[in-house]
Parts: sequence; C-alpha cells; structure tokens
Amino acid sequence: MHIRVCHLYPDLLNLYGDRGNVLIFCRRAEWRGIEVQLDLISLPDQVRFSDYDFIFTGGGADLDQGLVSKDLDKKGPLLIEAVEQGVALLCICGGYQLLGRYYRSQDGATLPGVGLFDLYTEAGRRRLKGNILLDLDPELKGGIGACRLDTLVGFENHSGRTFLGETVRPLARVIRGNGNNGDDGAEGVNYKNAFGTYLHGPFLSKNPHFADLLIARALFRRYGSVDLAPLDDTLEINAHRVMEKRLR
Amino acid sequence: MSSWFRLNLALLTARLVAAACHLFHYPGTSLPGVVALKVCPDAVNLMTPAYERVLAVTGTNGKTTTANLLAHFLCAAGRPVAHNALGANMLPGIATALFRDRQFCGRSRSRIALLEVDEGSVGKVFAAVRPELVIVTNYFRDQLDRYWELERTTALLREALAGLPRTTLVLNADDPLVVAVGQGQAQVRYFGVLKESRPVSEQGIGTAEGGQSAVAFDGGAEREDCKPAAATGTASTCETREGRFCQRCGTELTYNYFHFGQLGDYFCSNCGFRRPDLDYAAWGISEGELLCMSISINGAPASAPDCDAGAAAPPGGTVSLRQSRQQTAPGAGALWARRELKLTAPLRGFFNVYNILAATAAAQELGVSDKVIQFAARRYKPATGRMEDFEFAGRRCTLALIKNPVGANEVLKTVIQTGGAKALVIAINDLAADGRDVSWLWDADFACLADPSVNRVICAGLRAADLAVCLKYAGVPLERIEVAPERPVSLKRLAAQQADKLYVLATYTNLFDYARLLGRLGSVVEQHAH
Repeated sequence: MHIRVCHLYPDLLNLYGDRGNVLIFCRRAEWRGIEVQLDLISLPDQVRFSDYDFIFTGGGADLDQGLVSKDLDKKGPLLIEAVEQGVALLCICGGYQLLGRYYRSQDGATLPGVGLFDLYTEAGRRRLKGNILLDLDPELKGGIGACRLDTLVGFENHSGRTFLGETVRPLARVIRGNGNNGDDGAEGVNYKNAFGTYLHGPFLSKNPHFADLLIARALFRRYGSVDLAPLDDTLEINAHRVMEKRLR
Repeated sequence: MSSWFRLNLALLTARLVAAACHLFHYPGTSLPGVVALKVCPDAVNLMTPAYERVLAVTGTNGKTTTANLLAHFLCAAGRPVAHNALGANMLPGIATALFRDRQFCGRSRSRIALLEVDEGSVGKVFAAVRPELVIVTNYFRDQLDRYWELERTTALLREALAGLPRTTLVLNADDPLVVAVGQGQAQVRYFGVLKESRPVSEQGIGTAEGGQSAVAFDGGAEREDCKPAAATGTASTCETREGRFCQRCGTELTYNYFHFGQLGDYFCSNCGFRRPDLDYAAWGISEGELLCMSISINGAPASAPDCDAGAAAPPGGTVSLRQSRQQTAPGAGALWARRELKLTAPLRGFFNVYNILAATAAAQELGVSDKVIQFAARRYKPATGRMEDFEFAGRRCTLALIKNPVGANEVLKTVIQTGGAKALVIAINDLAADGRDVSWLWDADFACLADPSVNRVICAGLRAADLAVCLKYAGVPLERIEVAPERPVSLKRLAAQQADKLYVLATYTNLFDYARLLGRLGSVVEQHAH
C-alpha cells in the first residue's frame, strides 16, 4: 500500500509545532507497512491536489498568511476539486480560517477565503486560548484500530471567531474551552474527508485515534475500507488521559 | 501623599516581604516588587534617577547569561551594579532588584543599574527606566501563547526605542530581526560571529551514521533547504528559521552561511539590506569544558592581522569589519590598529559565544579594559541552570534551562557532542512563566536523542506525557523513554542509570527546584579557568 501526502506551505504556515501532525501521520502509516510519499508544496509549486491522498496545512503569522492568501487564489479551486473527489485534508488554525468563505478583520475589511468549507470568521477582541477538551462528533466516533477514544484534547490559541454554515458539521462539541467562537459550543469543521480545527498540541499528538481516522479516510479513495493494524499507543493515550483528567 | 513618602513606604514593604520570603525559603525574586508596586506604582521611575547609568538587556535567548557576564565584568572593574541576576525580568522583578539596592536615605548602593528585561515588558520598563544602553541578543519564537507572533514582539521593542533617541544600541548583527529593530537609531554597535567559527569536528554529529544529513546540525555550514524527505517519509525536519523575509521589502533573504536558527550572514538581493559591518567579531572558537574565542574589535580589514603569535587570522577575508570612525585617510586600513581580544570562559555551548560577545561589546562601550574583561571571563560562574554543573550520584550532572526550540536545540547539540554514555531528565512544565502551550517541543530537534550514546530519557514535569509522545515520534526507541513526572522520582531514576554523564534539562519553573534538589543530593561543582 502507498499513501501520498502533501504538506502545504510548510515554510510559511509553521507556527506552534503544527508540522508535528505530518510527522505523526507519516509515522503511523509507515509503522503499518504503508509506503509514504511526502511532498512539501509552497508558493512557487504547481500541483494537482487530487494526485494526493492527504493534504495538511497549518497556521502562520499574519505576514505569511497574507502571502498564502494571495497564492490560494490560484491553488484554491484545485484544493476544492481534490476534496470533492474524496481526498483527506486537515487544516489547523490559520489554515482553517483561510479555507472558509471569508475573514472579516476588526476594521470591517473582508478577506475572501477559498470557500472549501461553508464557514466564515470574524476577528474578536479577546484571544481564546488554553487547553481544550472536546466530545467528538457522533458520526466520527467508533474507533479505528485498537485506539478507542471519544474525546479530543489540544491547545487553542486564536482571536478569530468562526461560524459554520448549514452544509457542514462541527468536528466536535466543546466540553472545556472555547472552540470555534466561544459561544455555540462547536469546534472545528468536517466536510466529506476534510477537517478543520483550532487545536494545536500538535493536534494529532494526543489524539492518535483521529490520526488513524485520517489515514483510513485517506486510503479509502484508492483502497476502499482498510483495516489498520493496532499500534502500541500507550504513551499517546496516557498523554490524552492526563489532559482529559486535568480538564474534567 | 508625597511620592517620597510612598516610595519609602513601598521600600519598607519590599524589605518586609523579602524578609518573609527568606524566612520561608522562597526565592522572592519578584514577590517583594509585586507588593511594593501596589503601594507605589511608579516606584521604578522614582528609583532610577539615583543611578548614573541604566543598562538593559533584552531579546529571546541569552538575556540572563549576557547580563550576568556584563555585571561580572563591571564588578571586576570596581563598578558594582544593581541587577536582577536571577532572571525575574518583568516589572516586579526589576522593582525587586532596585528596592534591594536602595537605602532609606534615598541613595542607591550601586552607581549602575543593569536590568534584564523580558521582551514583552520593554514598553513598560523602558519608559520607566530610560536606559542609556540596550543590548538585544536575538529573537526566536518563544511562548507564543503570550506574544502570539514574533512580529509583535519586535514591534514592541521598536515602539519602546522610538521614545529613546539617545540610547546606544548593542545589537546582534547576525539576526536580521534584531538589526531591523535598530534601523534609524543614531547610536548602534554591532556584534557577530564570523564564518567557520564552529569547530569542524562538531559538524555531522547527531546522525547515527555520523553523516552530514541532519539539516538541523548545520553549524557554520552552507544552507540546505528543506527538501521533501520522500524516501523515508520523515516529516519536514529543517530547523525553524525566523525572519526569512527582508524586514524592509519582503524579499526572501539570501544567506552566505548560518550559525543556528536565522543567525548568520545574510543579504537581501532586492533592496540591499544586509548584515551590518561588525564592530565586534568573534572567530577562532574552540568549545569544550571551556569556551575560547578571539574578538576583533572595530578595526581594519581582516587582511591586516594584528594578532598574538600563533593565532590565525580571522577566516573569510571578505568579511568586512567596520572601518573606524577615526580612520580618515583611504588606504590607511592596515595602519589603524585593530585590537584582538582573546577570551576564555568556563562556559559550554556555541550559543554562549554570542553571550560573551554581547557582554564584551557592552563592557567596552562602557570603558572596561581588555585586561579586566579577560581576567573576569575566566572567573565567571554560570547562573542557575545555565549549563550549571553538579556532582550527583558519583558523576557530573549538568543542569540547563530549555524554553524554546532554538535554545533547546543548542543545548541538545552541546549534550550530544560530549563523549560517553548519557542519561537525561527533561522536565517540561506549562505554568505561566514556562508558556502554557507546549507544542514548541515539536519544533525542537529531539531526533538527536535517538543517538545510541543516549541510554535513557526520563520525562518529567506537568507535561511529561506530552514530551514522551514527542520523543517517540522523533525516533527515540520506546525502551529508552521513561515517564516520571515528579522531581524526586525523576532524579532517583536518573541516579540509577548506567551512564558517564547526567543531564537535567528543565523549563523555567522547574529549574530552581532541580537546582536545589541537585545541590542537596549532590554538590555544586565550581569550574574556573586558570
């Protein structure tokens, strides 16, 4: 088996250790004997995203996100095409906001997004930050491999308030923390095999079950349902439980 | 109520709180200031006029060591300083240091105040103390939950300096983010490290095969760009570099060479922004138990060596040292005496070259002689947890602070390059002073701990579990990773390891407790270069 991974804008959207998510995804595939091809794609590169099985993008500083936003005018439609075809995608924080319909800043100016997700973001005054505990969307529960967890944990750090449209589901409900906007109890987004979230940590480090869900979804288009062999997740589950216990 | 009365009341309060801290064996590096500032909020403004000179050190890494070295140089020159030596560097910590130095008659004990200032507190502190000289060490990502992004941190300093037009800046020329901060300031002195300053023997370490593949270990080497590591499926392992784009025009900077992080010799191909000519240039560095280096001071081109017998000329003939201001006749470069200052200090780690260089530059600007600096450098004692040595479980145990990716990488490089089998405790906390977000661990290069010479890594602290996961994915074999969150347990486990060298790497809020425990269970080793 073979999996093709695209790390999008690794040089620009690289805050908060988010690249760890790519490392975790790749390692967990390799440990199961799946051959991994990883491409780092940035501003000058022209690629067909539908040639990949999994696409990742993180969050960045304002200046860098400005550069990315411009570049996404070109790359955006290709990303949408890939997701419509079933390619798995994970975007975090800034990347999450950029793939929505628009971002409205404090002064009212609107920055158009890719529109891959039916959601929009507005700048907020107070920064929402801290450890966060979530209850995974019921449709995403069920466990892949040996790793049965129904919660997600991580660290959120954002001033944007994100609001979801009708056509998408939240990734999870907030148990402790703020989530998308600190108001409606939703966190993250799910559309087809594409996921967005505010969680750092990196996100997948304490959520190995979700990493496996992404691997299974990424393989589905070409290989159908795949049984992922269980891994020794003692350390990951311990880290998840320690944080869960602290927040409950 | 007159300000004089409030200030003395605040002073009395500070003394009482300090005495109480002492009684309960609490360090009390900032609590007296916290309480006293409640009594007299502008106490710091009111106390600084008692000093002839106010000096400040800010930046991300190396503040404490740079400030302590400079304090040590000034004391050796017979000029004692008021100084927040223990690294409590926000307004209350600074107030505590000044209250400690103040007498009820309204005079201060010292003539000079030397303040280490947190990079997020420069606005408040600089407005209150109006420093006449500011050293800026470097800018790396650190505690992003507090400062969000580096752009904001550098903007804070730029705003703070805008109100201080007469302040002399001593800047790290190798860091484009620092240099951009000094643009437009009248008095700037630059320090930097010349090419190939890093010992060759050290290059290529950190890979099991001894190859040169680890991009993170490219000290002094040409730039290797992030390449897709498709063959192994390893995620992007390139070292995080800040300030990749020109601060003036936004073009990506080109580097002739890197030392670590974004520190190196850079230029912008579009607008001409480049590393400034150096007033203080370090070269000929040798690392080991002692750090030895030469510093060329504000002199002639490198083609006119004026060094001690046996010392090599600085490498890289194209590197331009700044021409002296006194130098008027063209072509007189070789005649104008460049000074070479050879220094040896009981410090370990390449990053300390920058700290010594910064302190030396500032000391020279303040008129401290070469001889005094040389003498004092040999007798410097590292601050708590800055590669501080203890005797523990019959072996050498080194305690080091780690708090952000670049700092951690430099410490890890120093650990790995020591010979023999090693065992480590790495203690990660997530209290306010550590940074609440520990995801920075994943931006550090823990892959070097997969080296066979590392017998065991014991994960400790409130976020021990997070660290263990990070080490696992960095490639450290599972059987060498152990989780022991409690400090005493972690040290007991460390003592039980078969290793020649022991290390404790800790974030800020763990540091002093480990120092105390190691001191109690073992003893402090004092190292002097004689």
